[in-house]
Amino acid sequence: MNKRINHVLRLLFVFAGMNLVWYIVYLLMNHPILPSPGSVYKAMFQLDGHEVLLNVGYSLLRIFEGVLLALLIGLLIGLLMGRSPLWNKLLDPVVYLTYPIPKIALLPVVMLFFGLGETSKVLMIMLILLFQIIISVRDGIKAIPETTYDVLTSIGASSVQKFWNVTLPGALSVILSTIRVSLGTAISVLFFTEIYGTEHGMGFFIMDAWLRLDYPEMYAGIMLFSLVGFVLFLLVDLLDYRFMRWRR
Amino acid sequence: MSSLENNGLCIRELQVEYKGGQVALGKVTLTLPEHGIYTIIGPSGSGKSTLLRAVAGLLPGYSGELLYNGKPVHDKDTLVGLVPQNYGLLPWKTVRDNIRIAMKITGTAAADKADRETRITRWLEAMGIAGLEGRYPLSLSGGQQQRVAIARAFAILPQIMLLDEPFSALDAVTREALQQIFLDNWLAHPATALFVTHDVDEAILLGQKIVILPAGTGKRTELEVLDNAAVFGMKHGEKRDSNAFFEQTKVIRKVMQEKW
Repeated sequence: MNKRINHVLRLLFVFAGMNLVWYIVYLLMNHPILPSPGSVYKAMFQLDGHEVLLNVGYSLLRIFEGVLLALLIGLLIGLLMGRSPLWNKLLDPVVYLTYPIPKIALLPVVMLFFGLGETSKVLMIMLILLFQIIISVRDGIKAIPETTYDVLTSIGASSVQKFWNVTLPGALSVILSTIRVSLGTAISVLFFTEIYGTEHGMGFFIMDAWLRLDYPEMYAGIMLFSLVGFVLFLLVDLLDYRFMRWRR
Repeated sequence: MSSLENNGLCIRELQVEYKGGQVALGKVTLTLPEHGIYTIIGPSGSGKSTLLRAVAGLLPGYSGELLYNGKPVHDKDTLVGLVPQNYGLLPWKTVRDNIRIAMKITGTAAADKADRETRITRWLEAMGIAGLEGRYPLSLSGGQQQRVAIARAFAILPQIMLLDEPFSALDAVTREALQQIFLDNWLAHPATALFVTHDVDEAILLGQKIVILPAGTGKRTELEVLDNAAVFGMKHGEKRDSNAFFEQTKVIRKVMQEKW
């Protein structure tokens, strides 16, 4: 318990330090493109709560849909590749060749095929995450020693039972750490996709404030966006804490 | 053949090959009566683990016959309780969950959930680990993990029990305690059991008969099967100090010198 309080205190201290640096730079620059922390926080609290909630909600929904889709497809393909040497042989070159393609460069293609609406935004997030999830699921599954299945096999467990009791929990830690790493990328991509074809979402909010030259509000948007990312990180930590208890 | 001869576990001309065609286990023929317990002793590389894995249904390719009471071992009716050397517990499940999942998969006490839970508790108590039910395997010692694995094997009420050097990674004191606990529980619930070991003392302490596998897996002569009824009939605590035990040790050492 003491450790946790210590941890939170340290985080708060770093946060305060960052604000201090910001304030000093503000004083040195003395220019409207960098408002003081105080005016940004003031702008943040003057924001329309309903509107903020709507924007954050849209962004979160897109991330969730993208992550969920990537997880579903990635788990399926990764499982296939991890458990079946034949499928691994077939799909490995595909993954190998497509992995290095910078997915963000596909944004115009996705926009051409799926329009400017929600579909292309969610698909972009999915594309960014998918390949990393496929590879980590496959490797995570391969890393489970075959002997882990022995007892269940000998008592006649079905493939489905083996999946739920061995394969999935065994690969979960790798899946979680992949989500943690790729979540950062997903949020950046989300920002890009929210610049066009929408009037909701954090990306839209920030760029809108920027166009209106309302810098305090723009920075407030960036802070809020960061907060959303932070909360998502905490969520993954929470999942890790819940499902990885056996490792401690 | 009469039905009496078919009783128990029948291994006929079992042969297992590696993928390259190399023989992992030569032709083995062995009959184990129902509710009997045989220990199998052999040097490393003699194929004793392979034999157990074949019976457990973990090897896809083998030739020969594996029957239990006249029916194929890998039938749905025949339950196999396996205790591997590495305990084979799922690290992401608690002690209780590890036992529960095995019972769920085999449909043991499926009708009544409360009954299943009381049975789990009873098995944990029988193994002396009732206090550990909420712990995860990685936080347990080797001896504690093996107690869980044995409790799990008994809990599914198997017809056949297969133990693959279950105590070889444990220190001497823990090993002796577990041998006693295992034997007590086996006597109360005598499943047809094959117990693989590389420890001569353990083979004599736990087996009604002792099967000695020769070194090398190539052409196999008849298996050496020693009758061990004299020692097996004694109280477990008195076995080690008895003359019969001492004599049996000498016999086995002699066979080992000739065949290994």
